[in-house]
Amino acid sequence: MESPATMNCREAVRRLDDYVDRELGREELVQVQAHLECCTHCAGVYALEAGALAELKSKLRRISAPPDLLSRILARLEREPGRPSGTA
Amino acid sequence: MAAAEGQDTAPPFETTLAGVLDGAYATAYRLTGNAADAEDLVQDAALLAFRGYGGFRAGSNFRAWFYRILLNRFYSDYRRRRRRGVTVDLEGLPEAHLHERAEAHGLAGGQDVVGRMVAELDATTIGEALDALPDGFREVAALYFQQDLPYQEIAEMLEIPIGTVRSRLHRARGLLQRHLWDLAVERGIVPAAGGA
Repeated sequence: MESPATMNCREAVRRLDDYVDRELGREELVQVQAHLECCTHCAGVYALEAGALAELKSKLRRISAPPDLLSRILARLEREPGRPSGTA
Repeated sequence: MAAAEGQDTAPPFETTLAGVLDGAYATAYRLTGNAADAEDLVQDAALLAFRGYGGFRAGSNFRAWFYRILLNRFYSDYRRRRRRGVTVDLEGLPEAHLHERAEAHGLAGGQDVVGRMVAELDATTIGEALDALPDGFREVAALYFQQDLPYQEIAEMLEIPIGTVRSRLHRARGLLQRHLWDLAVERGIVPAAGGA
């Protein structure tokens, strides 16, 4: 295994999405982490991307099902003949 | 929500469905582009899932199973109904798009301006930007941004390789950022190129 410090900026930035999502393998994770600790520029890119991503996710998650959707579905299921085993 | 592990019998369908309903509706809304079709799609998927629930393996991932049904139903019947607005194109996308834009505008403190951009664009606008992603990218992005699912689970739901999820997601993020940045410029939230 190469030293973590051998990862350059281009390689680190290319892996930032997966790093933010915790989808990197152990070896690459360590390398990106080590790079971010010693590179101010890439650490800035990471902070910016991670911050924007968290805010976007937070805003896009604010959709809830209509409150009566479940009851309407259950009413429709009640009309289904022969309910399979394992259902109430 | 996964069905309870270690049990031979799956829990009641109603209980399991209730645990995934908000997320399924949010995804359906993103896919269909409107509330009425989203409700119909979720109801159709629930009915199909109910009919097949006897064959659902207790202890396996109900959410992934249910979403596969929902997505298949979307592809088979709802996708052609969807009215599409603007679709963003895939060309010319750099890595670290937001950061590059911020720096290109002479905004060394890019975090502030990007933070302002994301804070001032409302959820509807951001959702519409996500809707404008090309087919294939939009589904992956909807599952990722709204459900915060790991790549592997998205791959299972969409029945595509995890590498495809990774590459589509990477592109989708960049496209979304570029589209939002352009909107922010149009609305005066961030300065146009050459501005301070």
